[in-house]
Amino acid sequence: MADPTERARDEFLSEAQEIVETLSRNLLDLDASVRGGSIDPALVNEAFRAVHTLKGLAGLFGAARLGHLSHRLEDVLDDLRLGRMVLGPEVLDALFASVDVYGRLLTLEREGRDEPSPAAEELLTRLERLGADAPNRAAPVTEYELDPGLLAVLTEYEEHRLRSNLEQKMRLYRLRVEFDLTTIDKALEDMKTRAKRHGEIITYLPAGEATSADAIELDLLMASRDDLATLIGALGADNVVIEEIPRRRSSMMNEPQRPTHGPLALGAAESVSPVGAGDAALEQGPSLRSLTQTVRVDIRKLDELMNVVGELAIVRSALARLADRLRIEGQRQLTAELQRLHRSFERRLAEMQAGILEVRMVPLGQVFDRLARVVRQIGREMSKEIRLVITGSETEIDKLIVEELSDPLMHMIRNAIDHGIEAAARRAEVGKPSAGTIALNAYQKGNHVMIEVEDDGRGIDEQAVLDKAVRLGKLAPEDTNELSRDEILGLVFLPGVSTRDTVDDVSGRGVGMDIVKTNIGRLGGIIDVQSEPGIGTKMTITLPITLAIVSALMVHVADQVYAIPLSTVTEALSLEARMPRTLDGREVITLRGQTLQLCRLDRVLALDRRKAPQPRKSYVVVVALGNRRLGIVVDHLVGQQDIVIKPLGRSLSGVHGFAGATELGDQRVGLVLDAAAIVDEAFAGPDTVARERGHLLG
Amino acid sequence: MADLVKASRGERLARRAAGRGPVREFLTFVLGADVFGVELARVKEILSPPPITPVPRAPREVVGVCSVRGLLVTVVDLRVKLKLEVRPDTRRTRILLATAPSGEAVGLWVDEVLQVVRLTEPDMELTTAGIGTEVSEYVLGVGRPQGEFIVLLDLAALVTG
Repeated sequence: MADPTERARDEFLSEAQEIVETLSRNLLDLDASVRGGSIDPALVNEAFRAVHTLKGLAGLFGAARLGHLSHRLEDVLDDLRLGRMVLGPEVLDALFASVDVYGRLLTLEREGRDEPSPAAEELLTRLERLGADAPNRAAPVTEYELDPGLLAVLTEYEEHRLRSNLEQKMRLYRLRVEFDLTTIDKALEDMKTRAKRHGEIITYLPAGEATSADAIELDLLMASRDDLATLIGALGADNVVIEEIPRRRSSMMNEPQRPTHGPLALGAAESVSPVGAGDAALEQGPSLRSLTQTVRVDIRKLDELMNVVGELAIVRSALARLADRLRIEGQRQLTAELQRLHRSFERRLAEMQAGILEVRMVPLGQVFDRLARVVRQIGREMSKEIRLVITGSETEIDKLIVEELSDPLMHMIRNAIDHGIEAAARRAEVGKPSAGTIALNAYQKGNHVMIEVEDDGRGIDEQAVLDKAVRLGKLAPEDTNELSRDEILGLVFLPGVSTRDTVDDVSGRGVGMDIVKTNIGRLGGIIDVQSEPGIGTKMTITLPITLAIVSALMVHVADQVYAIPLSTVTEALSLEARMPRTLDGREVITLRGQTLQLCRLDRVLALDRRKAPQPRKSYVVVVALGNRRLGIVVDHLVGQQDIVIKPLGRSLSGVHGFAGATELGDQRVGLVLDAAAIVDEAFAGPDTVARERGHLLG
Repeated sequence: MADLVKASRGERLARRAAGRGPVREFLTFVLGADVFGVELARVKEILSPPPITPVPRAPREVVGVCSVRGLLVTVVDLRVKLKLEVRPDTRRTRILLATAPSGEAVGLWVDEVLQVVRLTEPDMELTTAGIGTEVSEYVLGVGRPQGEFIVLLDLAALVTG
């Protein structure tokens, strides 16, 4: 792990991955901009830069296939940004394909496999064809009588942008802006952003006159449709001087003008900065020098730190116990001191824990961006027009969870498009807009993150689901009438049953929702489904924010200690006063007017009661997951404790009901209940075991 | 570990083995009424049993889980796994710590650890013939050092799933 070459390679791979993700976002924006009817040239240029950087990286690390693809893509993007190629759907598709191919190539690189990728070869051929067929080559630059001095400083791209702006009869302005050297990065970005609303900044160059040691003046050449007054109103400031560059008749700059000196004084060849310098600074500067102050960290290192925090938390508990003992023994002076130390330690530890957790958090946007690409692709495959509406992509969640989410979400979206959204003709018949809408919503709710995948399609046909479950032998025919609507919808998570409503769809093209459910469950989450026939389907995933460390309620049952993650616990109460009764074969109590189903932990876990008989007084821990609540009956409540959950080994992977184990601080180990699994089981039927062996044959 | 190797005996065996092919070291232990051996190199540690937490719903041979300096260990009762007689635990009961290919730390519950024996080819019969088919997948063969009879177990197979 400490091998520097290996580390550099890891960094290369993760940086390349990040650039590919940026490229992907860029292309999506570009796609939106194309559909909006106008192409934002800055987006094409950013895509070009991304690929250009990738090419450089690939070269450095001898990743030949990656380099080769980047080289071809760079050519295509260069043609695009210089207006030598039109950005049609075919080109856009090829660009989107490149994101996937990059993904594959990076995987091969990561695994150290030097083998050709058929997908990459295919894409290269496609790109080759695009180049050969490139229509519409723009006229040579000589059409415009630009001053040779200026032309020498402009890059080919800037020249192209200047030309196309002039073709659109834009006015040209020179903005002389004084920047503070310490803040120039940010101020320039800021200026560019504000200017973008009014036109396009074609280039910026040093004005040549240093006014003071800690400031620099830049000349910005800007094209805009607005008049001078508007621009001064929008961009004017103490440090900004705006002048319009006058135009001569139909074509610009027939004669050199000298409004002032500086590189943008068109025709003032003597003050032009060296060609190479300007070019290099503009083309490569931003990609070589990062504007952000970030560090890339291997998530495993954070895990190690988190483990240390967990061990410290155990030390903290031991300290607290020691303080308690001292108090009981009457050592008041020492107790007070120890308790003060303990509180301070506790506070710092909490800060450290929060700090590490924060570092692990990443916005869900990371996975949503990838999904946007999937939606586009699947929509095209199935010839369905899909509108994707994303909200809450800034919602943050543990990096590890994000990584594991993309597959389940992708399957859910594929199902929504394939099974949910009707064909355009059918949608027209029922008066729905021809484009189907898929909404991807994320938001935080307490210690949980909720993710909804909602479509406005045909909804799930309950009868079809029932028939299929019976046909697959998952359900006894005589039981079909006993199921509630929610229970029927829940059947789509059984293996082989799908969300598709066509009964004769035996092949079940949809990816199994059972797998989705398993994967979400592995993350400590649960999934709920709601559906209205003809209106749509909504799947809701409830996930914990982090996996690393959790607060848990420690309970005693039959002489064993179990931890119940506090994030799932809503309250705990004494059972005896509640008078449990039996309803539909399920033990329930009434809590604030609502029926609460009980689950006796000793029974569902078949614990040995011989040495630890049921106490006279027991407690109910109420857990809530999604919209389901369950009362778990335990012998004693021990208290709250922060725990580090360690997964159970492979040989226990078949054991349901436990999320892992944790050290209790006295050399012993306690099991952590998987509340989601327990809730699922409890709601699967009045008597899960009998049901599983009897009716639910699957 | 070193104290377990009875050096004099080991050396004697080694001398005897000289010129008779490679020597393999096995750790021998008692399960029920029989003596078994596993390759010494695969055993990471021999532990006195720490407090073990039973795991409800686990397969019958899993005694439970315990923590060894922060490492979560799944403890398997070899007597159950190999369908042998289960005798009450004594103060000689030990746990052999090994690592499964999946990375899982597995502890093997044995009645008593005996010693390390060095076996050469002529001392070993690498066959499972005559051993119950139910457990034959865990058996490498038998060793016969000086007339003793040791069932040689395949530790890798024992700790896998």
